[in-house]
Amino acid sequence: MSSSAAVRDSAKQILKIIEKLPDERIKHLVSFKDSQAERFRRVAGLQSTDKNEKKASLEDIKDIITRTSGPLGLQKDLLKKVQSALPQDELTEQSIQEQMRALSNISNNKFKNYYDVGEKLYKPAGNPIYYQRIMDEIQGKQKETFLSALRTVVFGK
Amino acid sequence: MIQIVLARNGVLNQARSIPLRSRALLHQSSRLLNEKNPKPEELKSPEDLARQSHLNSKPIDFTNYAPVRPGKKKTLLSDSKYESKDYQLPKWKEAFGELVIRTLNLDMDKVRSGPVAGSYYYALCKNVALQYEGEKLSETAKFFYQDLKLPRTFSQWFQITILHEWLLFVRMRAMPFKYGRNYQQKLVDRTFTDIEARLFDEMNVTTGRIVDQYLKDFNTQLRGAVFAYDEGFYTDDATLAAALWRNLFGGRKNIDMVHLEAMVRYVRSQLYVLSRMSDRDFAVGSFKFVPPDETVERLTAEQEAQLKQKTIEKYESIDNDPKILPSDRSRLSYKN
Repeated sequence: MSSSAAVRDSAKQILKIIEKLPDERIKHLVSFKDSQAERFRRVAGLQSTDKNEKKASLEDIKDIITRTSGPLGLQKDLLKKVQSALPQDELTEQSIQEQMRALSNISNNKFKNYYDVGEKLYKPAGNPIYYQRIMDEIQGKQKETFLSALRTVVFGK
Repeated sequence: MIQIVLARNGVLNQARSIPLRSRALLHQSSRLLNEKNPKPEELKSPEDLARQSHLNSKPIDFTNYAPVRPGKKKTLLSDSKYESKDYQLPKWKEAFGELVIRTLNLDMDKVRSGPVAGSYYYALCKNVALQYEGEKLSETAKFFYQDLKLPRTFSQWFQITILHEWLLFVRMRAMPFKYGRNYQQKLVDRTFTDIEARLFDEMNVTTGRIVDQYLKDFNTQLRGAVFAYDEGFYTDDATLAAALWRNLFGGRKNIDMVHLEAMVRYVRSQLYVLSRMSDRDFAVGSFKFVPPDETVERLTAEQEAQLKQKTIEKYESIDNDPKILPSDRSRLSYKN
């Protein structure tokens, strides 16, 4: 197999790993999963998916702007520049293998399992439901009410 | 008056940071540590991991190349003599301080949050990636700016600093609520007073209005980053990697996954070290970040028990000493 074919092949495998990555729980201006899928789709020589489908809708952008005070100090023209610039990757067989190994380590939760911190940090003594509350909120299981939010502001938890 | 105990615990130190050079020796002397890691690549430090990448990508840099220049008063913390290392409090002041603490029955754990979190821990976080134009980079800064190819700017320094502050926040949350929150508050307060001074002094911002805008922006970044890292920490490595990509790496499209993996490893290993520390140890300032060129290995059950035993002995002897100074008292647990 020639090297470029091998690179394309590996890129396809990377795409499979990327597809398995969890979706963002909260919408951001650019998503890691989507941008990397786009990048390796080009390396694999595949057609990029429908552009309109991935672009943030007006509602999404409004949502992001109301959540933050502004698009984080980024000027509009700079944002455009970032969006339009697509760096060309020069991937060799060796480097794409490394990329694949690294990505699969990340997606397999290798380090979370290896360096297990235990309940001590996941259920911190000072505020045992801290992380659970965040997760419930972003997964929409249990929304904060005005009163519970007020309590957090006043008492800190 | 307030002595920050910097004594580092022997066992913890031995197990948490094994420099690469001495690893071979350790391998011979004790096979205990390596039993669970049959593959040698498991033991690579984040720096080695990042350096081994063969991807020759050049990240597109959108910064406007505003260099950080050393200001007029370049000190790590402040000009105050109380924060300098060599300063010794006169004996009479020390005795007077102890008397005040004893008579007013001050809560030393609360008092200590200032010098420990606001001064010592902030200095740790600040120092990790501190850089000035034309000056040699420190070893840790080299990892971030050279190995990970991050831009040498003020806002990048801020991102690296808040990542390290967040690591400390995670541990502070596990302290009793009122103390942990106090420690967090002191750390954040110090960060923003320092940034304000640096923007005037080093970044040559001349008007307070613009500095205020920057501070608000930095505040938004801090909140966003803490939230994203919290989510990643609690859920999985992929989410943590995405949070690091968005915040630390500025969402660069041609990210080197090996670098991302190195950072995930770096973050998780620091948290592991923090999780093995008792409240008391952490609260008196015994923690140091593990440099990126060192490898953190897991403790075995025996080592962990040994470590706990040593910590308990150390603080029991301090607490049971009848001549203990009022300023050395603490109610924080050393058993967890």
